[in-house]
Amino acid sequence: MAVDITLLFRASVKTVKTRNKALGVAVGGGADGSRDELFRRSPRPKSDFSSRAREVISHIGKLRDFLLEHRKDYINAYSHIMSEYGRMTDTERDQIDQDAQTFMRTCSEAIQQLRTQAHKEIHSQQVKEHRSAVLDFIEDYLKRVCKLYSEQRAIRVKRVVDKKRLSKLEPEPRTKTRESVSSEKVSRDPSQDSEEKSVTEEYPEKVPAESQPELGTWGDGKGEDELSPEEIQMFEQENQRLIGEMNSLFDEVRQIEGRVVEISRLQEIFTEKVLQQEAEIDSIHQLVVGATENIKEGNEDIREAIKNNAGFRVWVLFFLVMCSFSLLFLDWGLCLAPEVVHRLATAGSSPAASRPTLPAFCHQPCLPLP
Amino acid sequence: MVGVKMATAAAASIRERQTVALKRMLNFNVPHVKNSTGEPVWKVLIYDRFGQDIISPLLSVKELRDMGITLHLLLHSDRDPIPDVPAVYFVMPTEENIDRMCQDLRNQLYESYYLNFISAISRSKLEDIANAALAASAVTQVAKVFDQYLNFITLEDDMFVLCNQNKELVSYRAINRPDITDTEMETVMDTIVDSLFCFFVTLGAVPIIRCSRGTAAEMVAVKLDKKLRENLRDARNSLFTGDTLGAGQFSFQRPLLVLVDRNIDLATPLHHTWTYQALVHDVLDFHLNRVNLEESSGVENSPAGARPKRKNKKSYDLTPVDKFWQKHKGSPFPEVAESVQQELESYRAQEDEVKRLKSIMGLEGEDEGAISMLSDNTAKLTSAVSSLPELLEKKRLIDLHTNVATAVLEHIKARKLDVYFEYEEKIMSKTTLDKSLLDIISDPDAGTPEDKMRLFLIYYISAQQAPSEADLEQYKKALTDAGCNLNPLQYIKQWKAFAKMASAPASYGNTTTKPMGLLSRVMNTGSQFVMEGVKNLVLKQQNLPVTRILDNLMEMKSNPETDDYRYFDPKMLRGNDSSVPRNKNPFQEAIVFVVGGGNYIEYQNLVDYIKGKQGKHILYGCSELFNATQFIKQVKCTLVVCFL
Repeated sequence: MAVDITLLFRASVKTVKTRNKALGVAVGGGADGSRDELFRRSPRPKSDFSSRAREVISHIGKLRDFLLEHRKDYINAYSHIMSEYGRMTDTERDQIDQDAQTFMRTCSEAIQQLRTQAHKEIHSQQVKEHRSAVLDFIEDYLKRVCKLYSEQRAIRVKRVVDKKRLSKLEPEPRTKTRESVSSEKVSRDPSQDSEEKSVTEEYPEKVPAESQPELGTWGDGKGEDELSPEEIQMFEQENQRLIGEMNSLFDEVRQIEGRVVEISRLQEIFTEKVLQQEAEIDSIHQLVVGATENIKEGNEDIREAIKNNAGFRVWVLFFLVMCSFSLLFLDWGLCLAPEVVHRLATAGSSPAASRPTLPAFCHQPCLPLP
Repeated sequence: MVGVKMATAAAASIRERQTVALKRMLNFNVPHVKNSTGEPVWKVLIYDRFGQDIISPLLSVKELRDMGITLHLLLHSDRDPIPDVPAVYFVMPTEENIDRMCQDLRNQLYESYYLNFISAISRSKLEDIANAALAASAVTQVAKVFDQYLNFITLEDDMFVLCNQNKELVSYRAINRPDITDTEMETVMDTIVDSLFCFFVTLGAVPIIRCSRGTAAEMVAVKLDKKLRENLRDARNSLFTGDTLGAGQFSFQRPLLVLVDRNIDLATPLHHTWTYQALVHDVLDFHLNRVNLEESSGVENSPAGARPKRKNKKSYDLTPVDKFWQKHKGSPFPEVAESVQQELESYRAQEDEVKRLKSIMGLEGEDEGAISMLSDNTAKLTSAVSSLPELLEKKRLIDLHTNVATAVLEHIKARKLDVYFEYEEKIMSKTTLDKSLLDIISDPDAGTPEDKMRLFLIYYISAQQAPSEADLEQYKKALTDAGCNLNPLQYIKQWKAFAKMASAPASYGNTTTKPMGLLSRVMNTGSQFVMEGVKNLVLKQQNLPVTRILDNLMEMKSNPETDDYRYFDPKMLRGNDSSVPRNKNPFQEAIVFVVGGGNYIEYQNLVDYIKGKQGKHILYGCSELFNATQFIKQVKCTLVVCFL
């Protein structure tokens, strides 16, 4: 078990102080020290970030308190039977929902702002880590409070559904309660079906009741007595039919509601997962785009290279051909050139001059020089 | 009845107690209450290496996050000032740490300081801190100062080790060195006693101490008794009274502390083992519940000219959350292999079901008229999706254990550890040996030289009479041929001579091992663990010497071995050590502490022993944890020093 030695520590601080005073050592305490302390305290930068973080936290705390305060009234199912205070109309509930949602939105925006700002300011690695962790905590807190809110809403929806079911199962007691309740303010019965149903129920009940006196006023005679039971029967049948129809409609609606609730839950889970993967998919997308571009450039380069290769080959061939022709021409030219020159020179003087002896080397075939 | 219930609750795992204490410390020393809508409070945790060793087996990083820790840093690293954040320090009160803390105070790194010392801090050091705080005008910033008394490392629910950082100080070698001076011995003893004292403060109970005579354990017992007694007398500051004690106060039974010295039984640390946890410790790099594996990235031969494959280093944490590990850490290895297979099968079945749902959903989406079936499937889908994280976690664990078990299996196959294990069991239980020792030692492809050394040492230790000179020479020659260093043998000879003088050598009880039919098991499993050529050995229960001593002391049996153990009771008014135990009832709780080092084989043996007894608890502790390799190294070094 841990032992608290804070008091011991304070005692030792005092001891050290007195000892230093006795020794006359100016430590940091004394007049200078106290001034220093004050001096150091006031411009101590109450960091912007943490004060704003605390603000956000206090906001979320307010939201939480607000939700908790009205939670009991919100969930209260029998508010339409209860007394004046502690009652909440549906409009009030909707109002609370709206407010809570806008509040949550503003809070999450504030957190995002803080996050971008924290990353912009260049600080040491440790401070950055610390700040992002703090922001994670705040987000988590917000999520928990939002869960409170969504729980409340889920309970409310469930109660509504249950109420519908209950009211459908017990029509007679409900009508009685309705009459007793109608004396109070109009009950917040959200189920239109049951209202219609009960109205139609009451109507056929009232109709025979009314038809009795009506028939009674009109006429008398046996025919009326025989007619009314028939009418009663007809109306009853109609009753039954209508009831059956409404019942089935109602059943289907209820089932669909249940399924929609489940689907919405699934949706929530899936959106969460998808959002999580969004970041990864983005990066993969970037990589793929980069890779495609690289490949395109690569293709271009290869095409260039092929072209250059072809062109180069053409030039090389051309060069070789030219070289060989020039060699041939040179050789032929060298062989023939002295003869031509001599002929031209002696053309005027003596055509009879015997054929001059060609230089010896011209007889030799033009061999390539070794 | 209530008393008995409380007694069993008091033996609640030491791990829980330490975790609770740590969490409370992290919560600014206010008991931690889980509040789902509480405001976040953030803080920074600073620890030194001791603190790190204590925290890391108990709390994961995620749990630290849950407690509101944004950063956790080493004390002696470079730390930047982070304004407006309270800092929780968890350090040992040594000189360097105090200096560094004073430096932090001067540099005004954090907003407020909560200082927690792992063991008690002395007055003078406290004044040093006070001095620095005054100089930095930061006295008000030091919010709380605590002595946590947590100077031990808990590895399992019922197993603890003294320290990891400075274990050379309290190692077997340090205690048994021939050239140790008195002052050094004093320091070693003080360290051990300090940790044991912290342990009992955390446990919240004052034990009855029994130890053997004439060993290091006796010195520890005397000092511990004195320390506990002083603390109990000091009524003002006693740590064992008042509401700090908790449930332990109501137990009628006090726990029994049995202090034994390593020298009672030197064969067990050398023994080859067959249970999962002990194997992992013996064969792989495993400490503080973390195993480090070197994985080669492929089994096929690399084509000629290819670059050599890089070996990946992987490390896994084997934690109490890991259910498979908890269940199977004491089972024999073939069982473990089978269970991994089974888990894999069940995981695959669940995965297939989830995949099947996917296809059903795909079909139903096109069919308009099947709304009724749809609702059923949405429910199924919801349950499948919510069970996905569980499945992923399961898969990770299966992968982990597959890797670890494969690595162990490779070692077993390469070194033929099963052969060694069987042989050693036979030696230790003095049944007839079918193969002669010489054959195994000269067998070139059975095990490393170290394995052979171990085998021979066990044979030497457990032989009733020393083998004749000629035989010894033969063995020595065979061992040197196999490449072993003969230093440990000298040490064991000395030890045996000494032990013979002191008491009769310990016997190891009777045991038999039955090798199961090779083919039948191998064919049945048909798994990736193709255990061909590896015998499937079944462990029979045997009691190691430590277990037997504990049994005698706990059940108050009379036995020549333990009758002359000393008896200490710190709560008694007159501090005389009588050998007559006052308490005649068997104990319900016991703590076994081995001075000089322990290992998982003993731990497993104790766990198995206590499983058979209802309502009794055992905690196992040692001054350090070593496997056979490390032990032989220490013994080698001991000898070298001796000859200088």
